[in-house]
Amino acid sequence: MRGLVLSLFVHVGIIAGGFIYLPRMSHVLESAPIVPVELVTLADTTNIRAARPDPEPVEDEVPEETIDDVIAEPVDAPAPEPDPVEAEPEIIDTEPETPAEPDPEPVDEDPEPEPEPVEADPAPPPERRRDPEPAEPSLDDILGDLSRSIAENRDPQTADDGARRNAVGNGEEMTATLQVMLRSHLARCWRASLDAPEPDELAVQLVLDLDRNGELTGPPRLTDQSRVLNSPNPYLRVAGERALRAAVQCQPYPLPPEAYSQWRQIEVNFSPSLYGG
Amino acid sequence: MTRILVLFAALLALIGWSAASDAQEPLRVDVTQGNLDPMPIAVPDFVGASDEALRRGADITRVVANDLASSGLFTPVDQDAFIEDIANIDLRPRFSDWRVINADALLVGSVTIQEDGRLVVGFRLWDTRLEEQLLGLQYRTAPENWRRVAHRLADAVYERLTGETGYFNTRIVYVSEGRGIEGEPIRQLALMDQDGANPSFLTDRSYMALLPNYSPSAQEITYVSFLDGQATTYLYNLETGRQEALFASGGAGAASQVDPDGQSLSARFSPDGSELAVSIETRSGHDIHLFDLQTRNLQRLTQHPADDVEPSFAPDGERIVFSSARGGGSQLYVMNRDGSDVQRITFGSGRYTTPVWSPRGDLIAFTKQVGGQFLLGVVRADGSGIERILYEGYFVDTPAWSPNGRVLLFTRGEARSNGTRYEIWSVDLAGFNLRRLATGGMASDPAWSPLIE
Repeated sequence: MRGLVLSLFVHVGIIAGGFIYLPRMSHVLESAPIVPVELVTLADTTNIRAARPDPEPVEDEVPEETIDDVIAEPVDAPAPEPDPVEAEPEIIDTEPETPAEPDPEPVDEDPEPEPEPVEADPAPPPERRRDPEPAEPSLDDILGDLSRSIAENRDPQTADDGARRNAVGNGEEMTATLQVMLRSHLARCWRASLDAPEPDELAVQLVLDLDRNGELTGPPRLTDQSRVLNSPNPYLRVAGERALRAAVQCQPYPLPPEAYSQWRQIEVNFSPSLYGG
Repeated sequence: MTRILVLFAALLALIGWSAASDAQEPLRVDVTQGNLDPMPIAVPDFVGASDEALRRGADITRVVANDLASSGLFTPVDQDAFIEDIANIDLRPRFSDWRVINADALLVGSVTIQEDGRLVVGFRLWDTRLEEQLLGLQYRTAPENWRRVAHRLADAVYERLTGETGYFNTRIVYVSEGRGIEGEPIRQLALMDQDGANPSFLTDRSYMALLPNYSPSAQEITYVSFLDGQATTYLYNLETGRQEALFASGGAGAASQVDPDGQSLSARFSPDGSELAVSIETRSGHDIHLFDLQTRNLQRLTQHPADDVEPSFAPDGERIVFSSARGGGSQLYVMNRDGSDVQRITFGSGRYTTPVWSPRGDLIAFTKQVGGQFLLGVVRADGSGIERILYEGYFVDTPAWSPNGRVLLFTRGEARSNGTRYEIWSVDLAGFNLRRLATGGMASDPAWSPLIE
């Protein structure tokens, strides 16, 4: 009896160890099958473009000696504008077809207050962020719009075939395959902040929730969102916005549906690296 | 026995928990490579209530779109593709109409001409993917300043979308190269807006002017003039037109240790514009000096038998980079502003010359001559890491940074049957977006102004 219990205990222990250890093993493979995907895109941008002819060709013999007229009176300091968005939130989205402005009332209001509200309006501080309420439905609208427009010109992605074949393999390979696919897919939508002074400090992390069609089920979230988007470092703020934009723009994510449970939620670390990290 | 069973159950639970938590664990992906494609931005003509306002709106739109495109970071979307007709910038745009034509950003604006004739230019910048307003500003100005406003507006858009300061509301001073009646070279200083508009000459054809450098803090330049038959550094205030010879015999800054017949070469301003770093010929050859524009005190920083030339300040004003042949061939060195702690930062083969410290502080641009080729490159200011070569060609000289440190202008020479043709070209830090600057004829020796207030 004792021997049986001990044997049971040891066996279960080994199995448990396997359960705990083996999935970790899969992470070792993460970096192995990296495919250098985006060389083509880089090559595109290296194309040396000839200088565009200036719309106002410079006369060679402008014999002006004085530059007094060039140094003109300075432009007034920019005045922050009140945010008008609250006035008409969703109407335009629901009727995308109507070409004419459906709401004449706000137009009547607008022309006069436009120059003045700079001083007059006490409510809108210079900050540009909108209040969170309208943000939620409007993002849903984006997703709706996007999925509709994408659904129309969705074609059978060639990448999917490879994905399905790979899906036959075991779980660890699957994870690595998914990572490679996602990496190359996201690289297409993501504008890396490579020419910022310290690109290494501009890493941001994003969490995406996807449905089976590879569409976002909610707005992508930055880990540490308020720190990133309110950062005193404008490069970091832009890096956060670029990551969010990339996540939205990259829909739908062409991932094998049979492995949905593995990519239902994705955590993406965007970290620009000059040398491909 | 029960203890063992409890343990056993706990173990099973652990396995179950481990498996379950593993299924919920998000898939983790590291993305390090993105694209460097320019961002598509839609810029419909700015709206206005009168024909005059509409015309001005179209002018401003053209200048803004041209600025953004010239950076290589943006592609203005073809206006013919637009679906929504923007009639009022205070209404929310139909974002799907702009996403369909692949515009990631939308810039709408309006021009109002006030009764006193002044222009009011307002704009809103929208993110079409996230459906958010990113920026909304308005400028009020005298009507003749519409180009300044357009550049300023482009700078604001650039800054909001890239995180770095813009450089469109700037000017460039350069040497306009020509030939006289008898084929003699003519080199005149010229000034123009960064996009080539408003060109004018600063010096006449009677003498050669070379190597202008812009003050980072004011509308003031130094340049080298051959007015008296020898190379003399001049200080030129572009706002007052006042000129002054420096370091020459009898001139300001002439000091006993300076050879009265010696040459002084391109003086560069300290970041606050109050001092100049300059290479002056002394009895022991060329040495780096510091010249205080207020006290007129000239201080010698280097004292080496080899020539030390081409000093350039770091943006914090604490360090100075220069080129010197003290190690054999010409290489780059940095030192403290008092001349102490000289350190070599380049070790490659070839002759390193014309170092210029980036306004951002992290990099130093240089030109290098290897074999028969010239290279334009950047190296980290502490000498670490590898050099990045941005351009290679027949002749390269006089790199000059944009005030935000992202773009370099340089003189580029191409061999032609009738001699070398000099033009000014720009290239960005990544070595992309090579463009010719819109100067009239042949040009060289660019210098970039700070942002105009």
